Amino acid sequence: MYTRLSDIDRLFGNMSLLQKRLNNLYDDYGRSSGYKWGFEHTSPRTNLYENGDNFELKAEVPGLAKEDLNVKIQGNYLEISGTRGSETPEGYKTHKIERGTGSFSRSFTLPADIDSSKVEATLKDGVLYLVLPKHEAAKPKKISIN
Amino acid sequence: MSEKKDIVKKQDAAVEKTRALISATPAVDIYENDNEILLHADMPGVAKEDVSVNIDNGTLSLSGIRRFDSKGVFAWEEFSDVEYIRSFSVPQTIDVEKVKAELKDGVLKLHLPKSEAAKPRMIEIKAA
Repeated sequence: MYTRLSDIDRLFGNMSLLQKRLNNLYDDYGRSSGYKWGFEHTSPRTNLYENGDNFELKAEVPGLAKEDLNVKIQGNYLEISGTRGSETPEGYKTHKIERGTGSFSRSFTLPADIDSSKVEATLKDGVLYLVLPKHEAAKPKKISIN
Repeated sequence: MSEKKDIVKKQDAAVEKTRALISATPAVDIYENDNEILLHADMPGVAKEDVSVNIDNGTLSLSGIRRFDSKGVFAWEEFSDVEYIRSFSVPQTIDVEKVKAELKDGVLKLHLPKSEAAKPRMIEIKAA
């Protein structure tokens, strides 16, 4: 009897865990919890725009200096990795830690090849901006009608 | 009762609505030592001019707005323009005049010094 009860208990536990996960999934701009940068959400959020000859990628990387970030490009493969160290000051006691720490790596397959020699990367106010010019063959071309 | 309802409806209609900015809660770390309380908040993409820090009657409210000018068609979009808002209660012992704030790499760092009277003091026990 006891084993059965504990089984049911465990089942409910799993269900509520699943429910929590699902809630988080649709709660990007959560009210109470915010979102964690660290291990819970293993990588920073990104946006990708396609703009004629270029792709533009933005990534949220608060608290990272440019030395903490690595960007790798090969063909249409893009990889962003980095680490955020702990900023806990010495001699202070901690009340609340919500900002995650640790390392991440996120890779993307872009819709077209990139001319890696012309890529520009800027870091401003905790957001990484990448301008990724398309490779010559992938650029849009105007076709004249005869 | 019915009159009250009418008034409410009219007020609603009168408000001109622009595209509402999504509000988000920034993640924060809070530390404390004998001299001050430290608060770090993640606000990626917020410029210095768009941050406001208010301390009023024991409530500290942070607000930061970020706006991107995005060109082109998005392939995916996981974040957008947002207003970071969060409020905290702070003890009255904070010396409001000396609060310092800095913004670096999208992280807002607040130093909230405690007033002299609130600092812990070691009381020496004298032998009688």
